[in-house]
Amino acid sequence: MSKPITLPRLVIQSLTFYWRTNVAVVLGIAAAVAVLAGALLVGDSVRGSLRDLVLLRIGNTDQIVMSTDFFRETLATDLGSHPDFVGNFDDVSPIVLAEGLVTTQTGSGRVNQVRVYGVDDRFWRFHGVEEISGPEGRQALLSPALAEALGAEPGATILVRVQRPSEIPLESIHGNKEDLGRTIRANMAAVVPRETLGEFSLEAAQGEVYAVFLPLRLLQQDLDIDRQVNLLLVSSSLDDGDLATATLEEIVRSEAELGDLGLSLRLLEPPGAMILEGSGGLISDDKERIALEAGADLNLEARPMFTYLVNSLGNDRTEIPYSLVTATDLAALVGTDDTFTASDMDPIVLSDWAANDLGVSTGDRLSMEYYVWEDPGQLVTRTADFEVAAVVPVDTGDRAMAPNYPGITDSASVGDWDPPFPIDLGRIRPVDEEYWDLYRTTPKAFISLEVGRELWRSRYGSISSIRFTPNPDPVDAAALEETVANYAERLATDLDALGIGLAVRSVRSESIEASRGATNFSEYFVYFSFFLVVSALLLAALFFKLSVEQRGRELGLLRSVGFTPRMLRRLFLIEGLVLSSLGAVIGVWGGLGYAWLLVRALGTWWVDAVGTTAVSLHVSNLSLAAGAVGGIGAAMVCIWATLRGLGSVSERRLLAGQLADEGVGGTRGRNRLARVGWIALGGAGVLLIAGAGTGFVERAAGFFGAGMAFLAASLCYLVVRFRRPAEKMLEGQGWWPVSRLGLRNVTYRPTRSVTAIGMIASATFILISVDAFRRDAITNVGPTSGLGGYTVVVESLLPLIQDPASFEGQAQLGLEGFDAVAVEPFRVRPGDDASCLNLYEPTNPRIVAPSNAFIERGRFAFLDSQPSTEAERANPWQILHRVEPDGAIPVIADANSMTYVLHRELGEEIIITQGDRAIRLRLVAALDDSIFQGELLMSEENFLELFPEHDGYRLLLVETEPERESEAVSSIEDALVDFGGSATGTADRLAQFHRVENTYLSTFQMLGGLGLLLGTIGLGAVLLRNVLERRRELALMRALGYQQWDFLLMSMAESLALLVAGLLTGAASAFLATAPVVWDRGGQLPGTLVLGLLGGVLVVGLVASLTATAAALRSPLLPALREE
Amino acid sequence: MLKVSHLNKQYSTPRGPLVVLSDVSLALEPGDAAAIMGPSGSGKSSLLYVLGGLEPPSAGGVSLDGQDLLRMSPSEQASFRNSRIGFVFQDHCLLPQCSVIENVLVPTLALHGKQSETPQDFTPHARSLVEQVGLGDRIDHRPAELSGGERQRVAIARALIRRPRLLLCDEPTGNLDEGTAETVASLLLELHRVQKNILIAVTHSARLAAQFPIRFELAQQRLRRVES
Repeated sequence: MSKPITLPRLVIQSLTFYWRTNVAVVLGIAAAVAVLAGALLVGDSVRGSLRDLVLLRIGNTDQIVMSTDFFRETLATDLGSHPDFVGNFDDVSPIVLAEGLVTTQTGSGRVNQVRVYGVDDRFWRFHGVEEISGPEGRQALLSPALAEALGAEPGATILVRVQRPSEIPLESIHGNKEDLGRTIRANMAAVVPRETLGEFSLEAAQGEVYAVFLPLRLLQQDLDIDRQVNLLLVSSSLDDGDLATATLEEIVRSEAELGDLGLSLRLLEPPGAMILEGSGGLISDDKERIALEAGADLNLEARPMFTYLVNSLGNDRTEIPYSLVTATDLAALVGTDDTFTASDMDPIVLSDWAANDLGVSTGDRLSMEYYVWEDPGQLVTRTADFEVAAVVPVDTGDRAMAPNYPGITDSASVGDWDPPFPIDLGRIRPVDEEYWDLYRTTPKAFISLEVGRELWRSRYGSISSIRFTPNPDPVDAAALEETVANYAERLATDLDALGIGLAVRSVRSESIEASRGATNFSEYFVYFSFFLVVSALLLAALFFKLSVEQRGRELGLLRSVGFTPRMLRRLFLIEGLVLSSLGAVIGVWGGLGYAWLLVRALGTWWVDAVGTTAVSLHVSNLSLAAGAVGGIGAAMVCIWATLRGLGSVSERRLLAGQLADEGVGGTRGRNRLARVGWIALGGAGVLLIAGAGTGFVERAAGFFGAGMAFLAASLCYLVVRFRRPAEKMLEGQGWWPVSRLGLRNVTYRPTRSVTAIGMIASATFILISVDAFRRDAITNVGPTSGLGGYTVVVESLLPLIQDPASFEGQAQLGLEGFDAVAVEPFRVRPGDDASCLNLYEPTNPRIVAPSNAFIERGRFAFLDSQPSTEAERANPWQILHRVEPDGAIPVIADANSMTYVLHRELGEEIIITQGDRAIRLRLVAALDDSIFQGELLMSEENFLELFPEHDGYRLLLVETEPERESEAVSSIEDALVDFGGSATGTADRLAQFHRVENTYLSTFQMLGGLGLLLGTIGLGAVLLRNVLERRRELALMRALGYQQWDFLLMSMAESLALLVAGLLTGAASAFLATAPVVWDRGGQLPGTLVLGLLGGVLVVGLVASLTATAAALRSPLLPALREE
Repeated sequence: MLKVSHLNKQYSTPRGPLVVLSDVSLALEPGDAAAIMGPSGSGKSSLLYVLGGLEPPSAGGVSLDGQDLLRMSPSEQASFRNSRIGFVFQDHCLLPQCSVIENVLVPTLALHGKQSETPQDFTPHARSLVEQVGLGDRIDHRPAELSGGERQRVAIARALIRRPRLLLCDEPTGNLDEGTAETVASLLLELHRVQKNILIAVTHSARLAAQFPIRFELAQQRLRRVES
């Protein structure tokens, strides 16, 4: 007995009865879900792979304590024994981290930008690596990538060159500018696999890790940093990363000593005072202020001093060469209240030794000659005139007034001096040696502190020491020592270790944060797969519509027996939901396959887009669910849209099997709309071109808008044209009239035909437009190009202290060997790569600072800027000099990096941290496709103020004759070999970025092309529908003597017309839209990939339509004639 | 001359073969006009399609002017139909995207030169036919702009464009009201008289059949001539 019919049963029966069409619908939806879920999984996979990679590389490190200077290794022990450390943290490991250049002794291998680690057993224990210890003696352990790049095997001797740490700032007068590096010889003991920290790195970057592990003691010994380190690795047992960081910060604050902060405090002999000195011979302004405030609070009498070596002191008759002069409070020194302001000249107080030697007395005039180190990288001689205000006994001063200057204060005689600036030892007299023997560094003269600051100030500070005297005098030595200890503790607290030198970074959480990625691959691949998704959905919708149309009579019957249009819609929506759900289940599996394929492609064909082969599939249920829900939702919308029109079709028409009411001629309203559309859009296109030509509209935007307007206008025109009666009558005999009959079929359903043309045209438009943005050969190399007219870019491991732009500086650096037209030096603060080469989100971008001379030249091209004056408008580099009222620092970035990596717009800010201080960098201009894609550019004055610790120049742009680029590259590398200099052609540097962009474009084109091909198959479905709809006509034509190949000819003519119209409309509009871009790059036509894709579309379209026609004709036509 | 001898037609069904025509024979000369009547499902249309070479018989033979349709290849059959046989169906089956004159010319487009005929201009003849069916002033109109009767008149003109020797009509007035049916039937017969071809119309309309000099009745699979 058959079961009674119910709504669910009706749905099931319909689904099974029309199974062929439904399978097509399910497959279409499955394809859409697969593509959508797969695209989302690609993002998950890239993020997951980046996360895996960075977590593997940081090992057990959760936090680090770091400093730009070195601090005592025992800080690690102090932290480890702090009560708050125990229980909250597991371990701490002190290491030395430096950047280096590694070569093999044979010279066969050379690798720059190598991470050099000074480690001992504690490092491996910290990371839980049992199988590795040491290294010992002169052993070196290498990362796999470094060993491979060097071509070195265990046993090989390698040379590791690193920067020599210096407490004295290099760009101060006493900084040693000649001997910046140290070369350490070591024996390669083994390669450390990546699984056991061989790729240890604290930087979030996906590229190869070049690392060498040297014995900590060896590095400390060779770098003269006894028992000092610059990095502590900390592993935390707290789950809350923020809490762990905050706890560690407090521990560091409480355990840091003055020595860790670049200061030293000692008692003077004989006791009675203590002296605070900067470890580099200078105390910075901030530290000075805090030190004075702390002293005042403890009732200490303070005397800041600035002792400086002057070249000569004398007059036109006589001079004392190379004397130490101290700037201090003269009144306190002399012991009077006289402020020495009577004279119009600055006062100088001489020791009686100096006064006698010069033969001068109070009221005489003296001239002082001294060196200063000025930017850019120049040693300059200056003079200042004084009037002798007093003569004091030589022992008014003492040896402790001068800081420790290597090469001077530690010399046995003046003749042994070896300062880092030129001196003429021939000027040294016997009396000078006698003075040195008797008084050493005791100053020979004193000037006021204000004048001393004015003459000798540098960005590192304007005093060398502060002398504190307890007030009242302490009763005994023990009390004085207690005062010193109190002051040291108070000062360390007030200075705040984290604000002045040390910094705590939460490496693990920062790395995890950064691994979210600068590029949202989920988003990109959803965009890239857009056409695939749309095509798949359209295909599903087409087949669904086909199935609905097949059942037109059934619909009519159901309507005539009382089903309302709403009920019918519900019925079909339930069917649609069942089909979509089935499609989603299949699609989820397909999505896994699609994602696997794309991830494989990213690790191989498209490796330029990710820069690493270490990408693997990571499956997230959320993405699969999102893909499934998105696919079902989109399919249901398509199905709903298909069903929407059913309500307006009468029962009679439905019963007659007619679902569409459209015919040739169309409705008057639609015709009018289409006519108005093509005239208005065409007019808008013409206006946009005119606007672009006259400069009223930005050229590229004007043409692109015009292209899109013409595309839309063409489609409107086609609607009008297809609805208009044919002007030329169909007559004649043979293939051409039959083909014309096929062409006439295009007008059978004008909207349907124009929709198909529109889809092909849009896809073609996008594929060709995108191709226009492909960056192939760099043809524009002039001053306003992305190369700025420079041919070579040089990166240096060691800072170049001399001015590379000057002839003298070039001579000192050995750069005079080739004919450079110009050399532009840049200061560099290392940081995250902000270019598309780095997949991790840059939180602390690299900053470079051009010189003022570079800014004046106004090179490179800007895409956009925010000028506030005419001068800034004419040269947007000038905006870097602007003082923002809210204290933000103006910076310039490349437009590509700004948009796609930093995700910022002009006017927005990037906040970086320096110690515990936040610095707001405001984007004020965007460079157009330049070589500066990895960094932010800041004015030199702002750079020096914010980052005084980053000495010298580490980046050069060199302008040479273009044909001498390769010669220049090798000459520069030879000249800067001791600096670890590496030179690259600027065009190569830019091409590196272009390769990434081009890979993205290829990916988009490839997936877009696949979508277009799928859409073309959809075109076959459209034609199949047309053929099925016209089966009675075809049957009649067969009766009239038409043969199989007549029908194929008609079908081919029809599909060719649709395809060619779509391809031509899209291509013509795209060419118009991208005309300025194409013109700028020398009229280059689309690449072979695009032409191949479009050719493929034509072929697949024809095959699909012919297959559809053949399939339709295979079924007997006669029944169609019998339908009455 | 149309000669049909011992024609049988049966269809396979799940319940066994279904015989619709049994031992049907007839012979008609040029100028003859015959109506075949019969109730629905009696096999009238099947007979018409077999006569037109659209469907093969199960047994028997059909020849027109001595040429046996059943011995021809599908391609020869198509060419033969195109040049010798005209069809008018109950549903006019006009191409909606073509004008009146173009619809009339549709059969001529499919001449591919492989026939012995030399290419010729059918347009004057088509115009003349359109005039003859009374649609001279609607020559450029599209089917959507015509009434049912007008569309059927276009279908008649289309059937006659190749001056067929045999004109087969399947319920030519079935979809028309009485008055229009009368007009269309008169036109059909008038044109037949002019062209002197063999006209066979399948109908269940006694009124239409009455206008034909020769009438057959198809009942119980057999064809029987009805004397007036």
